[in-house]
Amino acid sequence: MKEKQINPRKISAIKDFCCVVPALIFLAVFTYYPIVELFRISLTDWNLLNDTWNYVGLKNWKWLFAGSGTKYLWNSLRVTILYSIGELSITLIGGMIFALIFNRMTNSFAAMRAVVFMPKYVAMSSAAVVFLWILNTDSGILNYILSVFGISAVDWLGDRNTALISVLMLTGWRCIGYGMMVYLSAMMGISTDYYEAASLDGANGIQKFFKITLPMLSPTTLFLFVTTFLSSMKVFQSVDILTQGGPYRSTEVFVYNIYRYAMVDFRMDRASTVGIFFFFLLLIITVATMKISSGNVTYDS
Amino acid sequence: MRRRMALVLAAAMAAGTLAGCSGGGSTGAAGGAAKTEAPAENAAPADPSYYEVTEPITIKWWHALEDQYSGIVDQVVTDFNNSQDLITVEAEYIGSYSKLNEALVAAHAAGTGLPAITVANTPYVAEYGAGGLTENLDPYIKATGYDVEDFGNGMLEAAKYNGTQVSLPFLISTQIMYYNKDKVDEMGITLPETWADMDAFMEAGTVKAADGSTEMYATIIPGWDQWYFETFYLNQGVKIINDDQVSTDLGGEKAIEIASKIKEWCDNGYTYWTGTADDASSNMRQNFISGKALSVVHTTSLYNNYVDQVDFEVGMHWLPGAETKNQEIGGCVVLIPSKNDQATKNAAWQFMQYLVGKDVNMTWAEGTGYMPTRKSVLETEEGKAFLEKKPAFQPIFDNLDLINPRIQHKGWSQLATIWKNSMAELIMEGGDVQEAMEMMADEINDVLGDA
Repeated sequence: MKEKQINPRKISAIKDFCCVVPALIFLAVFTYYPIVELFRISLTDWNLLNDTWNYVGLKNWKWLFAGSGTKYLWNSLRVTILYSIGELSITLIGGMIFALIFNRMTNSFAAMRAVVFMPKYVAMSSAAVVFLWILNTDSGILNYILSVFGISAVDWLGDRNTALISVLMLTGWRCIGYGMMVYLSAMMGISTDYYEAASLDGANGIQKFFKITLPMLSPTTLFLFVTTFLSSMKVFQSVDILTQGGPYRSTEVFVYNIYRYAMVDFRMDRASTVGIFFFFLLLIITVATMKISSGNVTYDS
Repeated sequence: MRRRMALVLAAAMAAGTLAGCSGGGSTGAAGGAAKTEAPAENAAPADPSYYEVTEPITIKWWHALEDQYSGIVDQVVTDFNNSQDLITVEAEYIGSYSKLNEALVAAHAAGTGLPAITVANTPYVAEYGAGGLTENLDPYIKATGYDVEDFGNGMLEAAKYNGTQVSLPFLISTQIMYYNKDKVDEMGITLPETWADMDAFMEAGTVKAADGSTEMYATIIPGWDQWYFETFYLNQGVKIINDDQVSTDLGGEKAIEIASKIKEWCDNGYTYWTGTADDASSNMRQNFISGKALSVVHTTSLYNNYVDQVDFEVGMHWLPGAETKNQEIGGCVVLIPSKNDQATKNAAWQFMQYLVGKDVNMTWAEGTGYMPTRKSVLETEEGKAFLEKKPAFQPIFDNLDLINPRIQHKGWSQLATIWKNSMAELIMEGGDVQEAMEMMADEINDVLGDA
């Protein structure tokens, strides 16, 4: 009788799988189970005040897409996308510009880099409270500086046209240094051979940036784009402290919208419905981002 | 394989972003537990010994009393702790009424971290009562023979839900118009008795500069809490919640007319709308203190606060009425969360009796602008003595019967949020009043129908 041979690749695959089992268990218990639970709650009428609930079918989904929840859903979607575009622009474009400016390996530039990066260490809640003072209409330093130039006081947090910009000011102050540091470390990794060869061919600085630096930074840009995008979509703390979603819901981002349903209105059913929708939205966007970017990222290999 | 891995990775990333918001939802597992209704009076033991405190215990009292009241809070708690040996009360300031509400409901849902006793803004009584958050106090009152009949009727009613005493009146106030008496006398202005008088008052009380800007507003009506402007609607027959309990009259002709009138006053510079921002209250107070407003509508509880900060005589005037001249109870009640163990509830009941007692109540009434809650003060010589110390309270004592309990509905706080936000947006950002009010009413109807 012929002895059955065990495929060594199969053994290796099983070993690999065993290594990730603990992580999968954690993911299942702390991430995927809550999502399933969230979906279940979205089919109930659970109010946080009540201990009992009933299944109500798709009532909450109807409320979200064809009821009074719809306009606030689109509003928070619009606000979140605007905020994300703002944060992405600051982190990617601002970070890149700062990285180019501070790309000198001297002590004085190291000190300046540290100053730019330092806000990232400040807790968001503390920074937001400081920005509340800076942006205060009557006694804030920003309006004081504007008044020196003869510009009248701006109600930064109370005006729907400036509230989101104010939140982005705080975001920019905290995030630009992070983008700079990530780009700087990536720039260090670009071989000088490319630049030397380009110089020999007569390329100028701008040509080198667009033909070498930018393409070689594309994996970093993708990384920064995906991580910044996902973190910007779940912005909450700064909005909670600075504006509480106001004025007139003009800064009510997605997570704040969920928080409001859950902890202000105590409608866990509605909060869960919006939460599940948010999950699938992010899933689709993330998959699309990875798919689109896979053909446009240049790796140094 | 790579594609599958990419999908899993993307799902994990998206799921990671939800971790923060799914936590609250996942506690829904507790939702399967049996509902803890406040026990029916006849089901609870009538034996007084069941409600006695027999062993030393430390309990927490959550409150929303800011810094200006900390002296009285400390004094009251210290006096109680010194008055007996078994119960030690620790007072904890949680934040505004709404912050306290969030913390309390979250603790109730989790079933842990609840205070033994807490204050609650009066409109929350219905939601808490309906949700079973509050202990039914009727058996306690009956078994221990506590005299609740001495509380003003409206106040006691405001602390009930569906006829059950789920809380007791603690710090009670009502809306009032504070006015600068010196200026009113000097300018010879007649304060408005009815809504119809308001136009003349607004015009006479406003002082404008040569360039048309307002130097002094006739009055300021707070927009950060609908409590301050809802009586203007109620007294003109607008039903904020219709008898069917699932719809509002706020999109009706009369409600639109009132909102239009307020907007017109704002547009004319007779007043301004405060909005709902955190500093709206302090800005309004500052305008009154500095003489930029002849009068302001605010809560009676801040009487001492105003008097201490101005160098003119502060008068209090009953709000202008219409078909009726009713006002509403404000301030807070005290309640015992139902999910506490019996020993904690018993200690809380002891402290509650002390807290709402006549002596402590008078300490608050004399030290702040909160009202005496006891008939034995309101309708006796003690009341006269109180008025001698605070003559500005005369209009309140004259109209005690017109101070009504708040509207009770499970969807009230959602309704209130929609209303005040819509009013702020309409008046401050402009727009068509009828369209805005009708849209608001649709949204409120949805909330009421689904509460």
